[in-house]
Amino acid sequence: MDEWVGMSPIEAVASKPDEPDRARSGALRSYLLIAPSIIWMTLFLVLPLAMIVYVSFWTQSTFKIEPKLTLDSWQTFFGSDTYLNSLWTTIRIWLIVLTSTFVIGYPTALFVGLFVRNKTLQTALLVLCIIPFWTSFLIRVIAWRPMLGKEGAINIILLKLGIIHHHIEALLFTELSVVIGMTQIYVVFMVGPIAFMLGRIDPNIIEAARDLGAGFWRILRKIIFPLSLPGVVVGAMFVSVMVLGEFATSAALSGRKVNLLGNIVVTQVGSLKWALASVVGVILTVIMGLVIAGLLRIVDLKKEI
Amino acid sequence: MALGDVTFAIESGEYVALLGPSGSGKTTLLRSIAGFEIPDAGKVFLSGREITRANIFERDIGFVFQNFALFPHLSVRDNVAFGLRNGARRLPEDEVRSRVLQAIAMVGLTGLEERGVAQISGGQKQRVALARTLVMRPKLVLLDEPLGALDANLRLRMRAELRHIREQFGIPFLHVTGSETEALAMGDRVIVLDQGRIGQFGKPGEVYNRPATPNVARFLNRYNVLDGALDGEVFASAYGRFAYGVRMASAKPAYAVRYDRLVAKPVGSVPPSPAIRVNYVASEYLGAAIMHFFEANDGKVLEVEHHLSNGPPSTFSEGEAYDLTWTAEDGIVFG
Repeated sequence: MDEWVGMSPIEAVASKPDEPDRARSGALRSYLLIAPSIIWMTLFLVLPLAMIVYVSFWTQSTFKIEPKLTLDSWQTFFGSDTYLNSLWTTIRIWLIVLTSTFVIGYPTALFVGLFVRNKTLQTALLVLCIIPFWTSFLIRVIAWRPMLGKEGAINIILLKLGIIHHHIEALLFTELSVVIGMTQIYVVFMVGPIAFMLGRIDPNIIEAARDLGAGFWRILRKIIFPLSLPGVVVGAMFVSVMVLGEFATSAALSGRKVNLLGNIVVTQVGSLKWALASVVGVILTVIMGLVIAGLLRIVDLKKEI
Repeated sequence: MALGDVTFAIESGEYVALLGPSGSGKTTLLRSIAGFEIPDAGKVFLSGREITRANIFERDIGFVFQNFALFPHLSVRDNVAFGLRNGARRLPEDEVRSRVLQAIAMVGLTGLEERGVAQISGGQKQRVALARTLVMRPKLVLLDEPLGALDANLRLRMRAELRHIREQFGIPFLHVTGSETEALAMGDRVIVLDQGRIGQFGKPGEVYNRPATPNVARFLNRYNVLDGALDGEVFASAYGRFAYGVRMASAKPAYAVRYDRLVAKPVGSVPPSPAIRVNYVASEYLGAAIMHFFEANDGKVLEVEHHLSNGPPSTFSEGEAYDLTWTAEDGIVFG
């Protein structure tokens, strides 16, 4: 390596074209390529994560926080029904939204990715799914209020049609409204990856299964679903990470009745309780890590994509 | 792709090769028989039962795809077992297992049952596709260019293998191909499709020696086909008036003579007819034979095949004029 000092890799290759040097300059080039992202991830992911873990053990008093290590904040979290309840609420809402995005998203993806064989139409339909994202997140969430409210669109339509005779109040400012709002926002992250995987299925494979006598549901269960599983896993990862860290939808649509871990972080940071906020942050990160590790066990994504 | 009037019958236990250039409608024909497409008109019968509009799974017809269309997430064994486990008539699992093992053995894949289909070679994939179809004991197997995805070496070996496998199972095969050598080598009988219609249906020897139409002669890739018109006992073409040996009734007049029936001689050393004055272009060495390419005065390329068992090849100089001649009995006339 000494003879390299002061030489640019290109000069080295030009002057010494023999094999070991070329291999070394190849290795150097790949380090150079990876360096920016390593630096970026270290500065803005690894260090902050380490910092959050560290701060979660700091000593918090009403107006200040000191780097004196203590378990106080952790004990506060696990000793309080409010906080534990919000942990269970977060997990419950995550599972419900994951299920609803799958139940709504999979058939949609099946239609777009498999039944529409025209590539242009396929792209157009996927873009159609993304169009709601052209409006701001808050507007999309708050737009559900005039839909779901006591005097909202759904109640008015159902009353006019004579299907119900009294306003349904359970639609807004409940867990249901949070689930509806989140499903609408995140379902597209389920549809995209699944439609992508379905679009890659060779149509001959499905014809072969039909020729061997399998009906539609059998083919769906034995051929199409297993082949789309990597898309389901990627979609589930997107939805999980976003829902677990959610706070805005529950704040806007639950009337503060649904407190997710994300809402606690917001409140604690708002009152400068950095230590407890860090505890919740660490817990959220651990849950997300477990969820992703679990999902990755289902399929070998490296092999599939 | 539009398909014209096509009527033919395949006998049980027969290997029929369907030869057609791309766009001749051969895949459409195959897909209509399999039930992937419903023809606008016409009927399909199997063992005396009309199946034109029958469901795919009621047809008892196996289909082997050009790209094999194996289920990529299943092992060799589960690919072969798929139809028995998920088809219209589901069998008990121990019967499935024994039939699958038997089929895998018959195509020569014993020992590879647990492999994923991504871990086996092209020829092995072909065998899995065959076993997957044959294990269902269909009444007819359709093969859509089954050797097209294999490399040349393997393709030659799989020809014999396919015929052997078919004989073991005793099921009729309809094999679609764009390769005339493959069609002639494999078929007990050969159907030649010409623009959505049957140009000829006969034994390989008949098709090869007595092509029924000028287009069939062209598809065989063994004949120089000359345009012109029949004029009494001779054929009048732009290159001369030629006597002929055989006349085939055909709407389009043409004169055909096989590559290996032509001889190129120095100018003036041949009788005046039949003969064509040409210029030498190039030669191609084929191993057992040499192909010589000549050009007539209007630019038409004529091919001469010299079998090396008939002695060493003559040498020709590029651009020089020669006379091509043949025995009039070898000329086939259409008209």
